[in-house]
Amino acid sequence: MNLQKRAIDWLDSRLGVRELLQAQLGGYRLPKNINSWYALGAVIMALFGLQFVTGILLLIYYVPDTEKAFASVTMIMNEVPFGWLFRYLHVVCSNLIIVALLLHMLSVLFMGSYKRPRELTWLSGFTLLNMGLVFCLTGYLLPWSQLSFWATTVATDAAGAVPVVGDYLVAFMRGGPTVGAATLGRFFALHVLVLPLALLGLVGFHLFCVRRNGISQAPFGKDYRPVTHQDTFAHEEHPDGIPFYPNYTSKEIAVIFFALAILAGITFFAPWLFIPLDALEPADPFSTPEHIKPEWYFLWAYQTLKIFPSKFFGLAVQGAAMTFLALLPFVDRGPERRPGRRPLFVTCYLLGLFLFIGISLWGHYS
Amino acid sequence: MSDSSETQAERRTFLGILLGGFSVALVAAFGWPVFRFLAPREQTGQDQQVRVPREQVPVGTAHFFSYQGRPAVLLQPAVGEFVALSAVCTHLGCIVKWDAAKGEFLCPCHGGQFSTAGQVLGGPPPKALEPYPVAVVDQELLIG
Repeated sequence: MNLQKRAIDWLDSRLGVRELLQAQLGGYRLPKNINSWYALGAVIMALFGLQFVTGILLLIYYVPDTEKAFASVTMIMNEVPFGWLFRYLHVVCSNLIIVALLLHMLSVLFMGSYKRPRELTWLSGFTLLNMGLVFCLTGYLLPWSQLSFWATTVATDAAGAVPVVGDYLVAFMRGGPTVGAATLGRFFALHVLVLPLALLGLVGFHLFCVRRNGISQAPFGKDYRPVTHQDTFAHEEHPDGIPFYPNYTSKEIAVIFFALAILAGITFFAPWLFIPLDALEPADPFSTPEHIKPEWYFLWAYQTLKIFPSKFFGLAVQGAAMTFLALLPFVDRGPERRPGRRPLFVTCYLLGLFLFIGISLWGHYS
Repeated sequence: MSDSSETQAERRTFLGILLGGFSVALVAAFGWPVFRFLAPREQTGQDQQVRVPREQVPVGTAHFFSYQGRPAVLLQPAVGEFVALSAVCTHLGCIVKWDAAKGEFLCPCHGGQFSTAGQVLGGPPPKALEPYPVAVVDQELLIG
């Protein structure tokens, strides 16, 4: 009897793990026509796992002090063995997570998987996307470079457009009238403690929703029929589907390695895509660099504020767009999920996507 | 066992070994940088020699300083005679104190006693304090 079998026998006699594994892995069936887009959630979790590891490693040498932060990051890059590798991995991975989150959202939208009964899965996922953006915003300040300082100044300044409480809101976020030591302190606490804990909790809830509802069938192929959901709870079963393990997990691992290959490629050959020249100078609160711009995923918001003559109006449009997306399952309530039979939705989807890309490019080149 | 099932079993074993080897390579490729990142950094020349102004070490007094990242002590037991020692007790690593009245070092943790030359006078320390070379250069003491 080999060691692995004995270990499982030992656990099985105490916790009944075989039954559990059978129910959750081999016996858990997924739709036959499931595709690679469904693996994006696993990719995001793997990338977040990597962020936890590299983030903890960086914490060992990083000093959250306005006088020392930049020097500590410079030391990590130049003196600590492989410090450059872990910092580049952390920076590049954070950008890839946003890409993966956006692709995950786009695929869910296109396949109509947000619809009833998966409203809570969508809402928690949408919150996770926003949490990812806040992760990036808070992490961006930590190196205390010119880029960090001024990008955070511009980003937090936008909240000033909120009527009545705008100025207080900006000061509250910064911990003072301008970005300074208080801002670094609160962004650091958010980035390394508050957000990771909140993320773990919300990912847990998101996965619970996914597992409890069952995986939605991809709305493609001649066998697909829209499902009208009743008021009572029902787990979506796929008795003729493929086992989660090993069939689908192997596909997920392949997609994860594809994402890791992209991560390694950018980390080793083009890390400067995400670390422009202004990131190489320490923050100087008395000298704003020319053409300071936010990261690529905030360009749409930055340009929207510039397009509208009133900053408040620009902010209101952004808020309305985000609220609409968050509440989409409660607005779009028809059971039909096939893209070919949802011409209005697909038109809006494509227009929205082009608008996002177009405004971002406009922001980049303006 | 039929031929085809034997072939299948061989293929499964081969793939298992391949996967195991790949996993080990992957862990090593990531594990080595993590180990190097966490390993204590080598002292690169700094602290190899420390200069202390001579007036900071009057006769009969001790001057504590950092040498190669560890606590050390300078002493002038007699006029013009300088001694540099590690200040780390050889018993359990506490830092010794200078007892000017008795003219000896005393470890506050377990009562180890050392002479001005670092030799054990009493208590549990198993060996003498490590001595460092001292030279007088102009008005400075050069340790190391």
